[in-house]
Amino acid sequence: MAKIVVVTSGKGGVGKTTTSASFATGLALKGFKTVVIDFDVGLRNLDLVMGCERRVVYDFINVIHNEANLNQALIKDKQCENLYVLAASQTRDKDALTQEGVGRVLTELANMGFEYIVCDSPAGIETGALMAMHYADEALVVTNPEVSSVRDSDRILGMLGSKTQRAIDGKEPVKEHLLITRYNPNRVEEGQMLSLEDIHDILRIELIGVIPESEIVLQASNEGLPAIHKDGSDVSEAYKDLVDRFLGHERPLRFVEAVKPGFFKRLFGGR
Amino acid sequence: MSSAAPGLTAHLFEVKSAQLPLVTLLLKSTHLNEVANELQQRYGNNPDFFAGDPLLIDLCVLRDSEESVEWSFLLPLLRRYHLMPVAVKGGNPKQMQSALQAGLAQADEATYIRADAAGQTYAQAAPAPEPELLPALIVDKPLRSGQQVYARGRDLVVLAMVNPGAEVIADGHIHVFAPLRGKAIAGARGYTDARIFAASLEAELISIAGVYRTSDKPLPANVQGRPAQVRLQAGPDGEKLVLEPIN
Repeated sequence: MAKIVVVTSGKGGVGKTTTSASFATGLALKGFKTVVIDFDVGLRNLDLVMGCERRVVYDFINVIHNEANLNQALIKDKQCENLYVLAASQTRDKDALTQEGVGRVLTELANMGFEYIVCDSPAGIETGALMAMHYADEALVVTNPEVSSVRDSDRILGMLGSKTQRAIDGKEPVKEHLLITRYNPNRVEEGQMLSLEDIHDILRIELIGVIPESEIVLQASNEGLPAIHKDGSDVSEAYKDLVDRFLGHERPLRFVEAVKPGFFKRLFGGR
Repeated sequence: MSSAAPGLTAHLFEVKSAQLPLVTLLLKSTHLNEVANELQQRYGNNPDFFAGDPLLIDLCVLRDSEESVEWSFLLPLLRRYHLMPVAVKGGNPKQMQSALQAGLAQADEATYIRADAAGQTYAQAAPAPEPELLPALIVDKPLRSGQQVYARGRDLVVLAMVNPGAEVIADGHIHVFAPLRGKAIAGARGYTDARIFAASLEAELISIAGVYRTSDKPLPANVQGRPAQVRLQAGPDGEKLVLEPIN
């Protein structure tokens, strides 16, 4: 039985695509057959972050409109055995997504034996975002430690609770997880960022992970490599922790304490 | 305005100007028996439809008629339907004079809220009849940004947080047994005794019967983030919101 996970946030630029790429990769590295779908029709990015942009021939919209079949559109990841990418169309817009079409593709993917289907939602609360969340079983709500992002995540949580198929059918609600990205404990301490407690106080859903603010993320996406592959970096470790927690393992929160620059660092002004 | 004798410290009364929302009856016939029949047809099953609404009688249609209005018949008839005739407008001098003698004020300057839709004015001024006891609307899920709940004609009880960007609205009181961070609008149809109760008052906006306050003006320290109630108090400069901690 495939599990559908939407990565969503409301606000743009908070790290949905970065998270979708690393999270899906992490699940695949654990041996699960995983597909990650870009719902950001018209502004496709996931293929760039996954480093497969040159191999996109058919996309998600082609499959929805029966212009290609899934086998033609699924792009096999180069690094990971069990990982596939379904790219968005760059030439169409969000209205090309239909609820029936999305539902049909998700069912077909489940029938192909995919265990996890990760839906990378576009920003906003319009068709694209609604389609990405509609059939979700679980949701990763990506939030930055700032007021506007928290507000938008709150809005998305409201929609997860009312607009999804599970909500409409009155079934068990979508399982919501809070993922805080771009967290910088030093800046929290200086009062420039909201703290974990502040964010939790507003959103009040279970915190599944904290991804620290890091240059690695930008580097990785420029290289077309999911950040989780940057072994040894704190971002990679934090994403691996996220995947473990998602799979039900206990992992202590890391990278959430402020680090004082050491004596030598202060002396020599290193970064 | 006041011209009390010097040295007198307390006035026994004050005269103030006020405005009153009215229901208007546009009278189209002086055959009052027929009017009575029609009233019976339309509101006979529903004698409490007008809950003591003050009434303006508009005679503009009958202005050119020679007939006079039989006030001694019409006024008791209207009162039977819980309408309180207070004023008259639009009639010819003879009709207006007789109305004055019947105890009605002249209100020729009164205007409709919607000039061309008298029926709509009725609908606005006279709320639909409601059962005697409408139990409070209970919400036990968090209200998140963009969500809105309206307890029409009753109280609202919210057992989970009301987040910034969410709105809770009630015609009666609002009780929030969790942090109230969004907008709370009690007494939405003008009930001035409505109150807002919150386990932790952090609202963006609070309003009772149209008198409101935004968080632009910070809440007083003794209620901010604490259990508190908000009510409306009439004072010399009009009504104002009173915020009090609940211990």
